[in-house]
Amino acid sequence: MISSPILNIAKKEILDNVRNKWVIILTIIFASLTLVVSYFGSIFSQGWQDFGVTIAGMMSLVQFLIPIIGLMLGYAAIIGEIEKGSMSSLLSLPVARFEIILGKFFGLGGVLSFTILIGFGIAGIVIGVNVSDVNYLDYLIFIGATILLGLIFLILAMFFSTLFKKRSTSMGISVFLWFFFNMILPIIFVGIMAASIGIEGLVSGDFPEWYHALTLLNPLSVYSALVSLNVGPVSTIEGISVSYPAFYSSGVMILILLIWIVGFLILTFWKFDRRDI
Amino acid sequence: MISKVVKCPKCSYKTTVIGESGKKIIITCPKCNTKGNYLFPEEHQQLTKTSDSIAIEVNGLIKTFNGLRAVDNISFNVEKGEIFGFLGPNGAGKTTTIKAMLGLIHTNSGEIKINGYDIKPSGKDAKKFVGYLPERVAFYDNLTALQNLHFYAEIKKSSKEDCITLIEEFGLSDSVNKKVGTFSKGMVQRLGMARAILGSSPILILDEPSGGLDPRGVVLIRNKIREMKNKGTTIFISSHILSEIQEICDRVGIINKGVLVAQDTVSGLSKKLNLKPKITVELEKMSDDVVASVKKVKGVDKVEKIGKSIDVICDPKTKAKVILAIETAGGNIINLYTREPSLEEVFMRFTEVK
Repeated sequence: MISSPILNIAKKEILDNVRNKWVIILTIIFASLTLVVSYFGSIFSQGWQDFGVTIAGMMSLVQFLIPIIGLMLGYAAIIGEIEKGSMSSLLSLPVARFEIILGKFFGLGGVLSFTILIGFGIAGIVIGVNVSDVNYLDYLIFIGATILLGLIFLILAMFFSTLFKKRSTSMGISVFLWFFFNMILPIIFVGIMAASIGIEGLVSGDFPEWYHALTLLNPLSVYSALVSLNVGPVSTIEGISVSYPAFYSSGVMILILLIWIVGFLILTFWKFDRRDI
Repeated sequence: MISKVVKCPKCSYKTTVIGESGKKIIITCPKCNTKGNYLFPEEHQQLTKTSDSIAIEVNGLIKTFNGLRAVDNISFNVEKGEIFGFLGPNGAGKTTTIKAMLGLIHTNSGEIKINGYDIKPSGKDAKKFVGYLPERVAFYDNLTALQNLHFYAEIKKSSKEDCITLIEEFGLSDSVNKKVGTFSKGMVQRLGMARAILGSSPILILDEPSGGLDPRGVVLIRNKIREMKNKGTTIFISSHILSEIQEICDRVGIINKGVLVAQDTVSGLSKKLNLKPKITVELEKMSDDVVASVKKVKGVDKVEKIGKSIDVICDPKTKAKVILAIETAGGNIINLYTREPSLEEVFMRFTEVK
């Protein structure tokens, strides 16, 4: 299925982006923060069992930083090349348009995964040194879920990069997307719930099922649910412990994350195929 | 949709029906109300057989941008092994036509074939034959010249070893391992030409190849184009600079405001427009007799006296008579130049009048 132009393009994207200073800077920031969180989280831990706060800390770090890296890698992926002019040359070669999208997605996804692995690798070493009974399988699930989350934001940015006529518009929408999923959407959801069950209900942590269903529209919530379900015990940063409804399962969460990725991949193919270069 | 005339089997009344091929309809005869089935015949797939000698075939190409026709029903063929010049002022639709030829843009209608492969359904096959130099040459700035060419060679499935040789041939030996981001415009253009030639594609499409080049670069690229032609490569060059095209092209097409206004050999075009050569005769001594007798020669359009020489515009066949007339009138010829009508004149005529 994977024809060689896809691999060639993926390889080129990796070669091109490992020298991108922003990728390097963000990788360093991510790695240092995971180092700090995992160090202070693990030195006070007795064992993996009360490791929840560290996981939660890593998770919120991931939720803030990984979307930025994904969006940053993706927002110029298509429009940047079109604006610059190199897309014309690339498309004049014997390569199909979907192969360009897939090649870029795999290449940039590879860079993203590499960044995540560095951050989690450093944290993993620190945790391994300080915590005696580390559950490595849980840790791998955590890494896998994080890569899926990053890929969602990568393909989202790539889609808008294919949609817009200008690199600057695509960049603007990426900044908006970050705020939207990290701030705006959660506030809207909590607002709706507060209007419905009141502040007391909010503080009790006993959220109605429809709220849990609603939050599944936000991939960040899906991600945290997936991690909590598998890696837990997780308490939120705010200290409210939330219990999930019965319809929450790892399978459903993974499926939702994959639907985001595949859905936007298809949308990106569709849009790019119709575009004049 | 096809329309067919059908005859009623009962009253022989003829009526026209319209429908899709392969579809069955029930017809009621308007005269005698007899009902009958009619099956539209299957449309035969038009087997437009491309002659083996044609490299590029463009047929009825139309492309509109926001309702404006940037390319308006253009058709032309480029024969294998020839150099075809595609001329027109800026914004005439040259780049749009080229982009359509490579499937970079979607056309409103028209058919484009490269070596017999339709660019729309079989773009990947069609593009295997093409080397392309875009109007705006760009590379991946973070990669070196060599890394860039390696990437293109990989996708073209051509030899990676040729990359270094090509870079050197285009005078960039010192910059093989430098990032393209540090290159000057002229260097990028040279590397762009190297990229187009990479893999020795049988068809080269060059959009304004001398853009951004210094005179040495222009000569380098022109020599390269000649070299490629000698190897049998079909070359399609667009330009708004006429002089160089005139020297190397077998045929030219002139495009203006999206319309192909002329398509012929350079001399053919001059003939069509009745452009005549100009003879400049330098004399030892100017005399009015000479001018008068030249004016009398049949086929001479215009005689102009400039110092010790005269400019004569005349039919190509009367050149000898003009010289004879000068000598009979006592003129002593020192020197003689003939200037054939230039493409510039042809071009100006076609693009101004319209």
